[in-house]
Amino acid sequence: MSITTNVATFIRTRYHGLVSFLALFIVWSAVSHYELVSAEYLPSPPAVAKAFVKVIKSGQLGVSLGSSLVRIAEGFFIGTTLGFLFGVAMGVSATAERLFAPLFNALRQVPIIGWIPLIIVWCGINEPSKISFISIGAFFPILLSTFEGIRSVSKSYLEVAQVFEYNRIKLLRKIVVPGAVPNIVSGIRLSMGTSWLLVVWAEINTRSAYGIGDLLSSAGDGKKPDIAFVCIIVIGIVAFLINELFGHLEARLSTWRKSYR
Amino acid sequence: MKIQLLKNKLTGLIIPLVLYVAWDLLSRYELVPSTLMPPPKVLFETWWVMQSSGELLLNMKMSLLRVGAGFLVGASSGFLLGTAMGLWKPVEQYLNPVFNFFRQVPVVAWIPFLLLWLGIDEWFKIVFISCGAFIPMTLKTYDGIKNVPASYLEVVRVFEYGWFRLLRTVIVPSALPSIFTGLRLSLSEAWMLVIGAELVAAGEGIGNVMVIARRLFQTDVVLVGVIVIAITGFAMDRLLGLLETRFLGWHRTQNAQ
Amino acid sequence: MERLGTLEVKNLSKKFRSRNDELTVLNDINLTVQPGEFISIIGSSGCGKTTFLRLVVGLEKGYEGEILLDGQRLNGPSLKRGVVFQDHRLLPWLSIEKNVGMGLKDAKSDESRKAIQEHLELVGLKGFEKHYPHQLSGGMSQRAAIARALVNRPGILLLDEPLGALDALTRMYMHQELERIWKQEKITMIMITHDVDEAIVLSDKIVVMSSRPGTIKKIIPVPLARPRDRASYDFVKIKEEVLEEFQLHTEHPFTYTI
Repeated sequence: MSITTNVATFIRTRYHGLVSFLALFIVWSAVSHYELVSAEYLPSPPAVAKAFVKVIKSGQLGVSLGSSLVRIAEGFFIGTTLGFLFGVAMGVSATAERLFAPLFNALRQVPIIGWIPLIIVWCGINEPSKISFISIGAFFPILLSTFEGIRSVSKSYLEVAQVFEYNRIKLLRKIVVPGAVPNIVSGIRLSMGTSWLLVVWAEINTRSAYGIGDLLSSAGDGKKPDIAFVCIIVIGIVAFLINELFGHLEARLSTWRKSYR
Repeated sequence: MKIQLLKNKLTGLIIPLVLYVAWDLLSRYELVPSTLMPPPKVLFETWWVMQSSGELLLNMKMSLLRVGAGFLVGASSGFLLGTAMGLWKPVEQYLNPVFNFFRQVPVVAWIPFLLLWLGIDEWFKIVFISCGAFIPMTLKTYDGIKNVPASYLEVVRVFEYGWFRLLRTVIVPSALPSIFTGLRLSLSEAWMLVIGAELVAAGEGIGNVMVIARRLFQTDVVLVGVIVIAITGFAMDRLLGLLETRFLGWHRTQNAQ
Repeated sequence: MERLGTLEVKNLSKKFRSRNDELTVLNDINLTVQPGEFISIIGSSGCGKTTFLRLVVGLEKGYEGEILLDGQRLNGPSLKRGVVFQDHRLLPWLSIEKNVGMGLKDAKSDESRKAIQEHLELVGLKGFEKHYPHQLSGGMSQRAAIARALVNRPGILLLDEPLGALDALTRMYMHQELERIWKQEKITMIMITHDVDEAIVLSDKIVVMSSRPGTIKKIIPVPLARPRDRASYDFVKIKEEVLEEFQLHTEHPFTYTI
């Protein structure tokens, strides 16, 4: 199949959506062109495009995105590692579950943004506070999905393992963890998504160094809606990519589950 | 059986108890500065002062009113859009791609624009909360309607149902569990966002109490705030959960099997 | 209301088209079902028997040939034909009486209430009106599904492996029940099954289908007096005849009788 026919089928199957986007774009262009809303409040499409080029050329966007991603990577790493470990422990051992479940259930009730003021009091407004905030956000989804994944491994498989006299390590490696992988990956996707929006929250609340959230809020303060718009688009695209990437991973790692059903 | 159950429950208290004792000892002997970690006793006192002065109630009332308004607007419009996309093909075809596009942008990213357009007053907060509540509600309503089992629809085709009866007997009951999930997600999102909005923009509210306290390094007040918002969030979710069991008895028992 | 139901199927063919393939599922089916007859359609899986049933119900569209009910060409599903699916498909959020009343125009009228009550009694579910589907066993759910299909007094009842999911003993009991209902209601029944015994116990005629494409291989009449004795010589003889169509018969028919 040639590219043109591919494009043709794409347009044929998706044209409704394209029509909507086109309509939206036209309305946006018209409103800003005829200055129905002043450019101070709603930047025109060309202004946004210009701002895009500007922030890319000046390196502002790259640096901001880069430092946000580094923060995510650190916070995500700490949060998921801890969450995974606790999840496995609680999934495997009933005693660990009894010990920790009430504590984590209580902590989980705090709306995640509610931690911000406390963390700032404890860790200041620099890197450590942002990273711990993201860690907390990344911790809970992984904890829950690992725990549930392990608990969802059917008892009948465990009985099979018993018949073959697997020891604990082998049981964990051959049956429990592989059985829980689809859940764990969906937990990773969730915590990655959460981390991405929490980094923006953290940066908005503790403005200091570079970051996509900093760029966004300083654009808002400095009455530069065009740059704010660019940030929104970039934030949306990154969120979309994270979701897609981990979604594919999830689908890939859980194929056995689908074909099994 | 009962003793075992009690023992299980008590095991859960070990770690919180250890943490509590450690916290008490550390702060009592000033191993950790009390500005960072006020002793539990101080926390209770702070809570009592905030409670009896009416400060806590007033600010909670403001936050709850905002959540109420934002949740009402966001969840009901989400319900409408989700229903429309689920039931009418053209609406789905034209609006679902747009919805999916905007859904990718976390609501927090809109803050500068909303501030620019609406100022830092009530309007900003309510619109912001509505946007957050809108998304999960739309998604779950749409999902619920789209996932009505085809086998049930076939049964009904044989009975030659009209539009309304089809909706009432099959589609609504079948979508209801998912819609309830949407409500709960939407409410907890709203509760989180009201705190977020109050952190960013001044005005009364429990989030604002916490911001001011953190600027003044009143760790005790911040901690009380954290505990209060956690309990409130939990209580609101429980309330919806109770409503759900009340209305969806068949669903619970069926799943329990 | 006169209960009619002469079903005529003439030169029926059905093809499924995928993007570049065409699969003939049913080929040149001819069958006449007299009012009040009990017909079983038997065949290995994939022979198109379910497709045939769905065509008669009207859930499947687009066919060649003709399906006539009392001389009228079928056009979509209708209250004149009741269906019982293999999975009972009771709506989990409705009580049994509401499930049974699903096909009635106004389920609250006195007349409807009476019809629901009668049909619950017919299938032996009196006293379970207020129960919910998850509280019923498999056999009871299937009875409720039968009551639901019968409540608007259709001319034909179509059964798609209605007892397929039940255990052997419950199934034998349900055979008796189904026969009783059929006699009492004087209704035409067409049942799909892959249980040879079931077909012989219940039917006036057995339609044996072969697969790829689905065609009628043979129509075997069952001229035995009812209720039928599974161990009788004639019964085993007919079973032999049916199994022969699947190349499954043995030289010692009596080894089958348990």
